[in-house]
Amino acid sequence: MSYRKAFIASNALMLAAFVWAFAKDFNAEWKPYQKKYYQMAADEMDKQAAAEKDGKKAAELKAAARKMRRSPLEVKQIISVDLGRYDRCVTCHVGMDEYTNTTLKNTFTEHPYKAHPKVDTALIKAHPFNKFGCTSCHSGQGLATTVDGAHGWIKHWEKPMLKGVTIQGSCVKCHDNFESIKGAEVAAQGKKLFNQHGCQGCHAINGKGGVISVELGDISDKPFERIAGYNFKRVRIDGKELPDEHHNSHWNIQNWIRAHLVNDPAEVTPNDPFAKLNAEPIPPSGMPDFTKEISKDEADAIVAYLSGMTKEEVIPYRYHVTAPPAKEPALTGAAHGKFVYQKYGCQGCHGLDAKQGRRRFNALADGQKEYDEKMPEAEQFAQMMLGAEPTLPKLMGTYTHEELVRKIENGVSAADAKKWSPKGPMPMVYMPAWKGKISKAELDDLATWLLSIGVKDDSGF
Amino acid sequence: MPTLDIEKIKKEVVDSQLWRSVFRGGVWKDTPRDRAGHIIGNVWLHLHPVKVRPRALEWLYTWGMGGISFALYLILTLTGVALMFYYRPTIGLAYRDIKDLEFAVTLGMFLRNAHRWAAQAMVVAVIAHMVRVFLTGAYKKPREFNWGIGVLLLTLTLFLSFTGYLLPWDQLAIWAVTVGTNMAGATPVLGNEGPLGSLVGMRINNDVRFTLLGGTMVGENTLLRFYVMHCVAVPLVVGILLILHFWRIRKDSFSAAPYVANEEKVDVWPHLVKREYIAAAATVLFIMVWSILQNAPLEAIANPNVTTNPSKAPWYFVGLQELLVYFDPWIAGVVMPGLIIVGLIAIPYIDTNPKGVGYYAWKERPFANTLFMLGVFMWFALIYIGYALRGPNYAWYWPWEDWLMPKAAPPPTWSVFGPHGVAAYSMLLGIPLMGAVAAAWMLLPKLIQKELDGKKTMGAFLGAVALVAAVGMALGKMGPIEGAFLLFFTGASFYYGFVLPQRHIRALDWPRYLVTMVLVISTMSVLLKMCARLAFNIKYVLTIPSISMNF
Repeated sequence: MSYRKAFIASNALMLAAFVWAFAKDFNAEWKPYQKKYYQMAADEMDKQAAAEKDGKKAAELKAAARKMRRSPLEVKQIISVDLGRYDRCVTCHVGMDEYTNTTLKNTFTEHPYKAHPKVDTALIKAHPFNKFGCTSCHSGQGLATTVDGAHGWIKHWEKPMLKGVTIQGSCVKCHDNFESIKGAEVAAQGKKLFNQHGCQGCHAINGKGGVISVELGDISDKPFERIAGYNFKRVRIDGKELPDEHHNSHWNIQNWIRAHLVNDPAEVTPNDPFAKLNAEPIPPSGMPDFTKEISKDEADAIVAYLSGMTKEEVIPYRYHVTAPPAKEPALTGAAHGKFVYQKYGCQGCHGLDAKQGRRRFNALADGQKEYDEKMPEAEQFAQMMLGAEPTLPKLMGTYTHEELVRKIENGVSAADAKKWSPKGPMPMVYMPAWKGKISKAELDDLATWLLSIGVKDDSGF
Repeated sequence: MPTLDIEKIKKEVVDSQLWRSVFRGGVWKDTPRDRAGHIIGNVWLHLHPVKVRPRALEWLYTWGMGGISFALYLILTLTGVALMFYYRPTIGLAYRDIKDLEFAVTLGMFLRNAHRWAAQAMVVAVIAHMVRVFLTGAYKKPREFNWGIGVLLLTLTLFLSFTGYLLPWDQLAIWAVTVGTNMAGATPVLGNEGPLGSLVGMRINNDVRFTLLGGTMVGENTLLRFYVMHCVAVPLVVGILLILHFWRIRKDSFSAAPYVANEEKVDVWPHLVKREYIAAAATVLFIMVWSILQNAPLEAIANPNVTTNPSKAPWYFVGLQELLVYFDPWIAGVVMPGLIIVGLIAIPYIDTNPKGVGYYAWKERPFANTLFMLGVFMWFALIYIGYALRGPNYAWYWPWEDWLMPKAAPPPTWSVFGPHGVAAYSMLLGIPLMGAVAAAWMLLPKLIQKELDGKKTMGAFLGAVALVAAVGMALGKMGPIEGAFLLFFTGASFYYGFVLPQRHIRALDWPRYLVTMVLVISTMSVLLKMCARLAFNIKYVLTIPSISMNF
């Protein structure tokens, strides 16, 4: 090829490449949606104009339809200065843009054209779009103008859109009184379940609760990098593996929390109990198996509640709604003791109503076989899984009231645990010291209740 | 009917006052005088000579890499200036501005892609240019100085790319820069973690790393500093050196190719200029298509509290990061790159071989070419290992292994000579022993006057190593894989580091010989240490903890 030809060809190709680049940029993903919305809205107005009897009104409607049809295609955005939101969602969801659709209502049924379904409710009236934007409640990537990008279904966007009832978690971010407001019922149920099953015994929320496991006050900010190396391969939701084609549309913190409720956590985080990868054995997740106690819907409610646990988002103080602390029922004696047992989450380890101690991996417990070094690994593992927290009624016969109070006050050090397999890992869960956390009066009543449910020792001693 | 006399119109336009005031010279007649005038009368073109020797035009001779590097530099300047209109270097805005480029700015993503990919391409092009110049011996007298300028330009190209890496302010950026700048903290004397650093009062808040970062960790000040260095300071220095580089190319006579009798020079316009244009156009086209098809990476917003696992330096520094597995940071991050830069600049002054100037001469320059290409190969091999074969916790993952599969913790490492080595405080034994080995290695190739028989010497050496391996295997200290490692790495080091120097450079004068051997032995030490660490889990061969000197 001569240089003259190469000169012409290279110039033509550069021009073509530039046209290609520009065309790619020009044919942005959001444009067809916006264009179609203008068309649909204009058609609707034309229809109304045809049905209109008043000639002047009909002409006005027709003019408005023509204007709508000719509206320029543009990136639309809601800027919420207070909340630091720059939400371009309305670029495609034009029905929710108050400049294009002044009434914020329309008759379309399909996304992204339809109006916000709750636009007439007190909820939206109290949270106008122009003040709150979209992502304050829905999450997702407000800056993006592509389908996957905006919904946050891309790698490296850690707050994808909240799905279904989990959006109620967003109420929890500002409303301390969310348990009593309309629209946050699922999140409120989640909080109730959280406390009912004793989660607070191990997990504190904003400093209130146990210290055994992680604080959940900012759990929805948990970086993916810290979620078991971002490995969801062992998570099963509805018994199925999670698809990862959209990546964080399934591999996200909501499903990580859910995974701990609808799976046995020991299967989600098996770790290294036989020290195959590490110098020391590491027990599987210390969290008990709740699959028999908590249904799928209940798990969703807890996920919704915890989805609101964020510290990353800076929300101005005046956006917060405070609430007085919940009143405790007026109870005395053993009945109050039972209430105290639930209030501090003792059932998280010792079981609902103290009926059955929950799992404590590799702790010595009733019903285990004798440890034998030659036992196959699978059987050893099964025996270690049988390790359990004490079932309290069985122990009560050996305690006096004062001894029991002292035991709860001082707790049992993790190092004092009796292991089933001496080579296995140290049991993770232990009895923390409750001194200073439970008041003396509460403690007395708790001991009274526990002694009252104790199994009577009939052996003659 | 009046006919359209194009020639007449042309003449009138060209002779008009307006045209003549802008362009010097009259109507183009394609005479030698016109062609010369085109070069001399144009401020941009007159960095060229008027005539050039035909040898300098051959694609297979020049690879066009110098010109392509400069074309990429121009692309980077243009796209960079365009990007500056949209980018604000503060930690609250930087990441959002990048997102805006991607989602809201017309051609924003294309611009960012073009800038990113051109920067990566420039690193490759500049290295390719250096390799070409080396292989054709074009650094030899009188071009030693310009070769040195070129080495500095290569270093600055890497530094420019590195400073730009931080600007998107995502996790990739902040951790790559953390890895890179932490190495600076290990500089001997000037870094707080380097040997002798604490002795002269270096702390985390006054050492060279602090100067680079504007703080003790990557933060707001770092972003501003890197922005200013990336957009203003370094491009200025590069521009100055580029002018010097081009001017010296012209003054040292275009092309080092040897003269041929009765050689006739050809006009630069059009013969060189058209080639330059095609090379530049192909480069632009390549970058454009690449930018359309592939987006530049952008991860989650930078978070100093969440370390990515693994954290890797930009790819062109991953080779040095891989060296961190084998050496302490002050060696891997400071001494080794320093030796590479100084060694490259020193090459024209230590290479006294008069042959092979201006043409590919593998047979006439066996030592220089072999060792140089070995170094280039090792640089890229280490990059490949660090980039592709290192997974979470910097563990070794083969390409077919899933990074989600956890790897067993590496076996414990040990040191041969040191307070916990083969015998307590054996470093007292190790210092003289290592010194003796190093001295023998340094001096023996020159002291043995007679050329050794390559086959016999290698046979004897490999036999001895095989014997050691056999004894080791018999004692259960190593397996066949370790034995093969030992044989391969020690064999290669002995061949390239001893047999070749003995054969080719023993006649050099002592100063040149010693400098060459320092460079050769440093290169071989990387091979030997890789073998020691990968096959035998040796962390240090000699460790003197009291002064943090570990080898």
